[in-house]
Amino acid sequence: MDSVILELSHSIKRVDTHPLQRVLYSQDLLKIPKFLERFVKHPICVVQPESDEEVRAVLKISRKYGIPVVPRGAATSAYGGAVTIKPCIVVDFTRMRKIEIAGKKAVVESGAVWLDVEKELNRHGLALRVYPSSAPAGTVGGWIAQGGYGIGSLKYGGIGKNIEWLEVADFDGIKKVGGDELKNYVGLFGTTGLILRACLKLRDNVRIDSVAIKTDFAKSIDLLDGAYHGVFVNRELAKMLGFNEADLLLLSYEGEAEKEGDKELGSRMWENRFNLFRAGREREVVFTEAILPYETAPDFLSTVDIPVEAVFTKDNVVFLGFIPVGNYYRAALKAIKFIKIAEKFGGRTYATGMLFPHKGLADYAGSYKKAIDPDSLLNPGKAVEGNSFSRMIKLAEMIV
Amino acid sequence: MNLREIATKCSKCGYCMTCPTYRIEGWETVSPRGKIQLALKYLNGDIEIDQKVAKDIFKCSVCGLCQEVCPVGIPLIDFWEELRRELVQKGMAPLSVHRKLREITFRNYNPYSGDQERRGEWADFEIKPAKTLYFAGCTASFRLQNLAKSTASALNKLGIDFTIAGKNEYCCGSPFLRTGQKDIVEKLFEKNFRYWQRAGIERIITSCPGCYRTLSLDYPKIAEEKGYEFDIEVIHTVTILDKFGVFEKADIAAKATYHDPCHLGRHMGMYEEPRNIIKKLGIDFVEMERNREQALCCGAGGGLRSQFPEISFEIGRQRVLEAMETGAKYLITCCPFCEYHLSKSAEKLGNKIKVVDLVEIAEKLISP
Repeated sequence: MDSVILELSHSIKRVDTHPLQRVLYSQDLLKIPKFLERFVKHPICVVQPESDEEVRAVLKISRKYGIPVVPRGAATSAYGGAVTIKPCIVVDFTRMRKIEIAGKKAVVESGAVWLDVEKELNRHGLALRVYPSSAPAGTVGGWIAQGGYGIGSLKYGGIGKNIEWLEVADFDGIKKVGGDELKNYVGLFGTTGLILRACLKLRDNVRIDSVAIKTDFAKSIDLLDGAYHGVFVNRELAKMLGFNEADLLLLSYEGEAEKEGDKELGSRMWENRFNLFRAGREREVVFTEAILPYETAPDFLSTVDIPVEAVFTKDNVVFLGFIPVGNYYRAALKAIKFIKIAEKFGGRTYATGMLFPHKGLADYAGSYKKAIDPDSLLNPGKAVEGNSFSRMIKLAEMIV
Repeated sequence: MNLREIATKCSKCGYCMTCPTYRIEGWETVSPRGKIQLALKYLNGDIEIDQKVAKDIFKCSVCGLCQEVCPVGIPLIDFWEELRRELVQKGMAPLSVHRKLREITFRNYNPYSGDQERRGEWADFEIKPAKTLYFAGCTASFRLQNLAKSTASALNKLGIDFTIAGKNEYCCGSPFLRTGQKDIVEKLFEKNFRYWQRAGIERIITSCPGCYRTLSLDYPKIAEEKGYEFDIEVIHTVTILDKFGVFEKADIAAKATYHDPCHLGRHMGMYEEPRNIIKKLGIDFVEMERNREQALCCGAGGGLRSQFPEISFEIGRQRVLEAMETGAKYLITCCPFCEYHLSKSAEKLGNKIKVVDLVEIAEKLISP
């Protein structure tokens, strides 16, 4: 390993091999129980590239020595995508965060934080179409690599639909991909290439006007027309977040609100759109997520008895469940059960990462991965490949 | 405070990575999230902390921005101070410069090596006994004496009967509380408190937010631990000026902005009083993008400037640039430590903006 480190240190300015740095860069938001920690392998080092050339150099060394690379943004996902399960080089993109705005498009480097991008765009009269609810910390590359939906997805769809093109690095070099090819990168957790930058589609920075409406979930669906962003919060979660103790629908519009509702509460809910973690203020919670079609979403929700947020998107409904932790393992099983119930209603897990590659969401990309990365050095054991964690979850699924 | 229990609450969301020091250094060992995770592992006995990581833990101005943005409400200011105390107890701190400042303060009762006998020399008026004490603090006593003079003059103009302690005023201990060195603070507390008792002090006014925080939040706790009754009201000058000040309009045509000192803002929740005074003075005022609870630190506090000047001046540079972006010609603050550091940072940027203390402006304009 010494020669790998030596070579990396010659090619890249920022390399750290400190044992405790390696401990920190072996984990992400996912809480790993003590008995499973043995499946986590500390990286041999962490690198923070500042240019395409440095990324190229890391990949060259990775291939030369057969040592995997694990790309990392802010590590704010709970799917274990940035967890290191083999000795590897962690490629932390937070030093690549340039934002360039041209016309109504922005070319943004992988490590830029979503909220920083939004603030910069706002200075130019522009705004992001979609961004994650973890925008104060989450990075552009991180969210694209996970895929999914967020603020604004009701009008504009998922992140995949709001990218013009991506620049990605693999063992053959750097390439620009767009259109149908994006599916080989969005949601694949960097298993087919490292995302360097994205050209994002934007909207004009029209003022967002929000209203909150007390209503049940089924009726909420009929009220979504014309809204930019729509979220249903059940009364249990509303209470945890400090809103009224009632089932609430938040509707946010680009421009004047088109529906009648409580503007003060709507504005408060909108201002707090990044504050879902507040649900864990009083008591630790475990998060669980599932995506359901609109048709079966009401029936799914009626079977769920935990605090829930439902994000309405152009394509489907994303449910985020909050399971208060008494016993961690029981809560984890409940989280798995949440997804299993969703599957019964025609739904699926939200993302793959390290936890759910066995769900087959990314199976379509298996042959692409093999062609690009035959030795499985790009974030191995994630998205398209199984690992010890996913096998344990598969077992647990049989129990629940 | 149970450090372990508090650290367990961290959800690892990363919102605290807005930390100004982390944004410069970029490594997780410097991020609040990373430090909390390491503290947890250390307290669980899973890891040993070495000197490198101990140093990283001190790369923080204890500005409290992490506490402000933490969605699960971890009391991070207290957490950092307690964690630093733990490192001192385990022999991994104080760091070299912090240790040196402690030695100087043991000798001189201030970290500037100032002659304690001459501490009150800035006072150009007759000192009479009173129940209200103006506590100038080390920076105004030895570095920015104009601030001490202006504050005294303002109090006089407002008809407040006050005294000063002169050579009987000792460092409040703020820099040492922030760097985990509580033993020296206890000694300084004893010196100050005994004098206040002897002099029959009932109220303390201070122009330094660091002293203000320490005397009003930390001293009562130390007093309680020692079994003393601490029945002294502590007030910052801006509260007095806001409450009692009637001002003539400032003859400043240029625009001004305001920097929230961390010890006055996030530590003590005082945001509006200085702004009210600025408004009363009729100054053409513009806010910086990051203000009040979200304000960027000046970079000097928590022992950062003394131990890690490069990081500290980079934060100072960013703050001055943010002030310059508003188009302001004056950067107003009401903390001598911020004023001193931001002035030096502005100097490095070609003095395109002048850093001034609010009390110094307001004092000149108090209506007779």
